[in-house]
Amino acid sequence: MAALAVVLPLAAQHGRYLNESRNPAIGKPEAIAAGAKLFSGSCGGCHGPDGGGGARGPNLVQRALWHPLADEAIFQAIRKGIPGTDMPPTALEDEQTWNLVAFIHNLTGPASEQKVPGDAAAGKQVYASAGCGGCHAIRGEGGRLAPDLSNIGGSRPLASIRESILEPSKDLFYLGNEGVSVTLKDGRKLEGVAKNRSNYSLQLIDRKGDLHLLRMNDVKEMTVRANSMMPGDYGKRLTKEQLRDLLAYLAGQTIR
Amino acid sequence: MRNCFLIFACTAGLTAQVKYDAIVQGPRADWLTYAGNYQGWRYSPLTQITAQNARMLTPQWVYHVPDARGLRSSPLVYDGVLYITNTNSIYAVDARTGRQIWQWADPRAKRQGVNRGSAILGNRVYLTTADNYLVALDRRSGGVVFSKKFADEGKGTTSTSAPLIVKDKVIVGSAGGDSGMRGFIAALSAEDGRELWRTYTVPAKGEPGAESWGDLIEWGGGAAWLSGTYDPELNSLFWTTGNPWPDFAGATRKGDNLYTCSLLSLDLDTGKMKWHFQFTPHDTHDWDAQSWPVLLDTEINGRPRKVVLHANRNGFFYALDRVTGEFLRATKLIDNVTWAKGIDDKGRPMEIPGQDPTPEGNWVCPSVKGATNWMGQSYSPLTGLLYVITLEQCGRYNMSSQTPKPMSNFSGGGATEEGGQVIVRALDPKTGKRVWEYPMTGAGRMWTGTVSTAGGVLFTGDDDGHFVALDAKSGKNLWHFNMGELSTASPITYSVDGKQYVAIASATAVFAFGLFEPAEPVTTPAITVVK
Ligand code: HEC
Ligand code: HEC
Repeated sequence: MAALAVVLPLAAQHGRYLNESRNPAIGKPEAIAAGAKLFSGSCGGCHGPDGGGGARGPNLVQRALWHPLADEAIFQAIRKGIPGTDMPPTALEDEQTWNLVAFIHNLTGPASEQKVPGDAAAGKQVYASAGCGGCHAIRGEGGRLAPDLSNIGGSRPLASIRESILEPSKDLFYLGNEGVSVTLKDGRKLEGVAKNRSNYSLQLIDRKGDLHLLRMNDVKEMTVRANSMMPGDYGKRLTKEQLRDLLAYLAGQTIR
Repeated sequence: MRNCFLIFACTAGLTAQVKYDAIVQGPRADWLTYAGNYQGWRYSPLTQITAQNARMLTPQWVYHVPDARGLRSSPLVYDGVLYITNTNSIYAVDARTGRQIWQWADPRAKRQGVNRGSAILGNRVYLTTADNYLVALDRRSGGVVFSKKFADEGKGTTSTSAPLIVKDKVIVGSAGGDSGMRGFIAALSAEDGRELWRTYTVPAKGEPGAESWGDLIEWGGGAAWLSGTYDPELNSLFWTTGNPWPDFAGATRKGDNLYTCSLLSLDLDTGKMKWHFQFTPHDTHDWDAQSWPVLLDTEINGRPRKVVLHANRNGFFYALDRVTGEFLRATKLIDNVTWAKGIDDKGRPMEIPGQDPTPEGNWVCPSVKGATNWMGQSYSPLTGLLYVITLEQCGRYNMSSQTPKPMSNFSGGGATEEGGQVIVRALDPKTGKRVWEYPMTGAGRMWTGTVSTAGGVLFTGDDDGHFVALDAKSGKNLWHFNMGELSTASPITYSVDGKQYVAIASATAVFAFGLFEPAEPVTTPAITVVK
């Protein structure tokens, strides 16, 4: 099941935040803009124009999820390349290199730290009318079935939030989001998300948000969904503006 | 016996929630607060595991806490789920199987450090981050309900203790006293984290008590880095405070340095100090008073008393009247005490001159780690004994004449810990006398606490990575298990589905034990995958 491919190494990101670079380029709009320009010229050929992946280089947003790098390490990767791969060294000035780092930092960093277009207040309305709160919670309000979104802006790059909404079944970052339904030997039926499961036990959260800690010996039949429980048609249901505003609202969800 | 209030079959739905009254009642099947009950007993009424059958204990599961090193966390258990914390993170695992249900971490925290555990109320679990946020999470999903900052890490304060929840308040403390900071205890609203009161452990300039300090009073320390106990009848909190700063250089802070190395009794509603008792006035050996204030009604000198017992790092074991703070008695907790002849009848140490740290180093007992420390002790009403982890160890205390600079990792000197032996001691609260002891082999490195049960068993960790069960009456060894690494946390016990478990964090994992039962082969049901 491809659905369980990538587990986000949350803890691995400690390095990133604890070693926050003090280079003035980081977070500076002019530096990010200069970096973006450089990127489309020198890097986009391989990594795609927006870093979203291309013929000869990986998607940098996704890569940062499993290989988060401190700013200094991004600097070194650009300067020295990655020996043995297609990623070439560069001969750019320090300042230009830092501009590129600023661009990548922004691209791969939490959405809450990015400049995100759109109207967050309108996005909150979209969130409500699209029924997101039926499954997700923000600061204690909403469902418990699906991942908590209280810190979604503070923990995910914008591009990855967008992808989660538009293509929910494409890439499930967490083990623990499979939709399951079970019939128990005593006849009860339960449906929800398997927070975890093995051949021996199942930890299920139901649509009401209650936990059921089950032994597989008590389970008669189980059905597992191969794709996400999250509706897959938001790309069609939401207008461009609605999606933009929704993203602005979600980008602002941070606990810090 | 099936514990109906524990298993999903009975509880699924909206009714199951942690109520304040359940915490007041103390542990049953669940373990709802760091020390088990508000009195700090770490005692469970569970009786499935007994002194007779403890040799049938076997590991039930192991949960490796991601990225853990030197875990200090004591788990909580509610409704079949066990919660264990690490720095800026918490994990909910199925208490029967050790399988993770959810995890929560805040990788953007500005500090990392020790975390001793969580608290639970209603449908929320609470923990603090090292940079002083109180975080409330939904206990079922791990979703954030709120995350609210209560202190500035830029002023040297960090947070390490498990919060204590009483009624509608979450009581948090402050750590960082070895680098200069101003200690406090604060009550935050369990509803939204807003501050209800804050009581500083070191007075501000001009306030009463400030005369017991010098110029560095603003950085005086008195950190409150361990949670405390609570007496519902008196509505009093009992909280201990840490060393004055700079730890080893006392010249800049002539006087008693109130209210460091003390036990404070605070009013729950207002935070007002009802009384204080200072164990080690003008401490120069880093003998924080962090060790659990155990509340007990017993007879002292033939008179019934509401007492608070305190085994102190400075080498003495105290009994105070917890209503008034009156000093009742102090006895030697360990054999090797060289800094004081004893405690006088006012409760003040009778110091032997020349025991302060010196530039060349001064050999003093107990060591900087102290005669005991924060590791949880246990009181068993079954045996009437208090079980304390003690350390017979001395060390060389050095003083530096450098000008103290706060928040620069400078503590005015340093101390060595050399050799030494950990000994579990069973003390009679009435007299302070030792009833039995269990000496351990090791290098004096463990920080493992204890838990005792109505089955007559005392669980603790050896000084070399073994988890052990002792006969609570006699101190005789009943069972041991090699966890393969030193433990620096306290064990708990709980029951799910009628089975009793004992759980403890080793350096990197949680181990759960229970009585042997033959394995049940599992037939995996037919699984259909639908698109
Ligand atoms: C010829 C194609 C190519 C070009 C041009 C290129 N890259 Fe790469 N880049 C790669 C490949 C391939 C990898 C993955 C290497 C691997 O397999 O580890 C990579 C990896 C990276 C990484 C991730 C490093 C890590 O350790 O995770 C960063 C950041 C990066 N490139 C930035 C840039 C930037 C900035 C530029 C422009 C200055 C650039 N790349 C130009 C091919 C390219
Ligand atoms: C029927 C339940 C359901 C609804 C409705 C729903 N989602 Fe989801 N969502 C999920 C589940 C389950 C996941 C877990 C990953 C997956 O399966 O894609 C998820 C994942 C996500 C993620 C990624 C979370 C993470 O931590 O990686 C985001 C962002 C998200 N949803 C946003 C939304 C938004 C915005 C809406 C409304 C427009 C919405 N969801 C509606 C169930 C739902």
